[in-house]
Amino acid sequence: MEGVLAWLVITIIKILVILGIVLGIGAYLTLVERKVAAHIQRRPGPMVVGWHGLLQPLADGLKLLTKEDLFPRYGNRFLYNLALVMALVPATLVFAVVPFGPEFEAFGIKIKPILTDVNVGLLLVFALGSMAVFAIALAGWASNSKYALIGSMRKAGIIISYEVVITFAVMGPIILAGTLSTYDIVQKQIEQKLWYIWLQPLAFVVYMFAMLAETGRVPFDIQEAEAELVTGFTVEYGGMKFGLFPLVEWYVEVLSLSAIAVVLFLGGWSPINIPFLGFVDPLFFLGPFSPYVWFVLKVSLLFLFVLWLHWTLPRYRIDQITETAWKVMLPLTFINLVLTAIVAPLVWR
Amino acid sequence: MPWAKGEDFIDLKERFRELQIEEKPTITALHIPKSDLIELLKALKEEKGFKLFLDHSVIDFPDKKPRFQAFYILYNVDERKRVIVKTWTDGELPSIEKLWFAGKWAERECYDMFGIKYEGHENLVRAFMWETYQYYPLRKDFPLEGYATEYLPSLNEVLWGDNLQGLMNYDKMHTPVPTLEDLEITEKRRLKKKAQIVLNWGPLHPGTHGTMWFLFDLEGERVYQCDVILGQLHRGVEKLAENEMYNQFLVYTDRMDYLSALCSNQAWVVAVERLLGIEDLVPEKAKYIRTMMSELQRINSHLLWLGTYALDLGALTIFLYAFKEREKLMDIIEGITGARLTISYPRVGGVRMDLPEGALEVIKAFIKRFPKELKEWETILSRNRIWLRRNIGVGVISKEDVYFYGLTGPVARGSGVPYDLRKFEPYDAYGWVEFDIPVGENGDVYDRYLVRLEEMRQSLRIIEQCVNVLERMPKSAPFFAESPDPKKIKLSLDGIGLKVPEGEIYSSGENPRGELGFYIYSTGGIKPYRVKIRPGSMYNLCIYPKLMKDRVIADAVAILASLDPVVGEIDR
Repeated sequence: MEGVLAWLVITIIKILVILGIVLGIGAYLTLVERKVAAHIQRRPGPMVVGWHGLLQPLADGLKLLTKEDLFPRYGNRFLYNLALVMALVPATLVFAVVPFGPEFEAFGIKIKPILTDVNVGLLLVFALGSMAVFAIALAGWASNSKYALIGSMRKAGIIISYEVVITFAVMGPIILAGTLSTYDIVQKQIEQKLWYIWLQPLAFVVYMFAMLAETGRVPFDIQEAEAELVTGFTVEYGGMKFGLFPLVEWYVEVLSLSAIAVVLFLGGWSPINIPFLGFVDPLFFLGPFSPYVWFVLKVSLLFLFVLWLHWTLPRYRIDQITETAWKVMLPLTFINLVLTAIVAPLVWR
Repeated sequence: MPWAKGEDFIDLKERFRELQIEEKPTITALHIPKSDLIELLKALKEEKGFKLFLDHSVIDFPDKKPRFQAFYILYNVDERKRVIVKTWTDGELPSIEKLWFAGKWAERECYDMFGIKYEGHENLVRAFMWETYQYYPLRKDFPLEGYATEYLPSLNEVLWGDNLQGLMNYDKMHTPVPTLEDLEITEKRRLKKKAQIVLNWGPLHPGTHGTMWFLFDLEGERVYQCDVILGQLHRGVEKLAENEMYNQFLVYTDRMDYLSALCSNQAWVVAVERLLGIEDLVPEKAKYIRTMMSELQRINSHLLWLGTYALDLGALTIFLYAFKEREKLMDIIEGITGARLTISYPRVGGVRMDLPEGALEVIKAFIKRFPKELKEWETILSRNRIWLRRNIGVGVISKEDVYFYGLTGPVARGSGVPYDLRKFEPYDAYGWVEFDIPVGENGDVYDRYLVRLEEMRQSLRIIEQCVNVLERMPKSAPFFAESPDPKKIKLSLDGIGLKVPEGEIYSSGENPRGELGFYIYSTGGIKPYRVKIRPGSMYNLCIYPKLMKDRVIADAVAILASLDPVVGEIDR
């Protein structure tokens, strides 16, 4: 009985911490993005609200919240609102299986810094990832607008193509680790003294491509394509409802998929890896916090990489994107699978 | 001379017995009765090489019988000759849509503005006004203030009653405005739905670069057919021109193609100078200043094009880079002329004022640094795989299409037609400076992009040469022409009382967006009788529905941006 109570308390604390961090960071990443974009474009970015615009996300949030809630005529109100829920919930749920650090002991209880260490964690991630298509399809359909409809159909096309690709891309690390649990994959990498990116560079590149496509980042941001479709499937949403879609797509999803990429390819919370030899930790002085810092560092690096691409490249056309997925990316993942099968016994030993 | 000689058409005289050849220093005209018109145009196009269609419109003479004089301006690109074909009609003309597609749009405009009926025109709908509009505004009997038939009080008058006094008390009767029903009828007339959905793209849409209204008939994302509804920015510039003095109309040329105001100014001023016959009297300094300023404006305009083009294809950063450089150019232009957008710096006979001190140094600093920036953008875009995939093979225009659709400017040059009026018919100082005309090979969007980038470099070359010449000129050199006979031609900076003798001229300038031509028909006096403006943007746009056929929506922005239309010039 006591064990169950402790487990419940710990889980609730974990949920609150993860939700707080994810949504809080998600809001503040808007500022990061604006600042990065501004400096790429040789301008200062937001400077007025707070020191160097530090309070800008709060001001934006306030502005969005106080806006009038518009609803398109002949739209379907239930589906219109359901789309918001469908967008936010699966994207946030992915963090349930993201391991942030190694197991530690507090008050005599062993705690894993992961919400649920299910043994099919990765399966869950991609199942939830494909739920995103419902949100977008519903948003496009329920707002009764041609722009929104076209935008959502484009996005649905992309997600369906890249779901296949991303699933095959993560096959390699799964084979090497021999498990689907995210926590165990990191543990295996530490045990084998090997970040899987060294053996899976192809899979990593394909994964990053698919990640950009799934989150609708440049060069795959055709579902919003502001020049052609105004803002695509969000065109009929207003106020915070409008703000929620980019928040989910551009920040929460990018964060969660970056975190999964770190788990799969970059050894999770482990420090810098020398293949098959061991780990070098320049941050040893942080003691028990070092794994968390490493994890956050890796995720932010990936996130900044995404931002860098976003503010540099033009965008593809829908047929070119799906063509790349089926004709280039998918065969590449197959090749990668074969290669992995050959080298896997080396790693298993 | 840009005009064809009379002897070029001697052999045609045997076939067309009623053909009359009129040769004047400003124009070469062929007069033909209406019945032989199509035959003559066909002969000119196929036998004489006058393949490029420039313009068509009519002049209204309410007192004469038949009432309308129609003219067709054609160009022979290989031999660099221009000819104008004229005929008289009382309201009906044969359509030339089989010969030139561009003629179709010109005819629609004539139908809209003069009420001319065209036999054999496939889709004779109004060009700018809505379908239920009853009048023909460019006819001479249409009053300048329009017919005030609609009762349209302002909101204040409705709420608080009519308590304004004196000049503030406006008339509550207004000229008609289109209602939603009118617009619906207009839309229905334009496009018969054949595929799945009709996507309304505009009138206010970020991708259209202005207030254009596109209708896409979509099959999924594929465009089945497409049409354009123009007129959202129609201000009746041609009507205004008939009621303004020559120098007063100068400010309206700013507002047509508002991104290349200086080039439009220059084209108008040169046209009037040629009509007056004082082109050679304009001082050298003024000519160099005008040339230099137009080239600065050309770079300015191309920068805006590059920025918005990259923005349309998703590369937002280039947009801000381009605008930063554009801002510097705007500052230079502002320092010299006092205005940023609507400039009106040239005048008939010269320029408004001399260059301020230090202007040349600033320009020199700009042309020294600008090529580096240009190179940087090219490294980001020109070899970028995404950029190439979005651009190559999209919106291909063949050489024949250039002539058939009356395309000019960078769009024509992108398809390999070296049609550049700065070389073909040099005005101002263009004859004295060295520069090349970049031409494309395939005529796709990517070629037009490269052509425009290279044009910016060539503009820099021209500016450099102009600066060198201007630096060596004494400060006291005149910048405004002196009239040889002040009683006959009164030249002054404000241009008041400038009388232009009887005559007509078609003169054009090379704008960043294509040929901007002015056909001026003067019956003497201080105002022109009729001014027909040849808008480069409009004829460049007329190929758009053809290019969009079987393409997807994502290409719509790329193709439209590569044609680079400006609505102010299309609608006038």
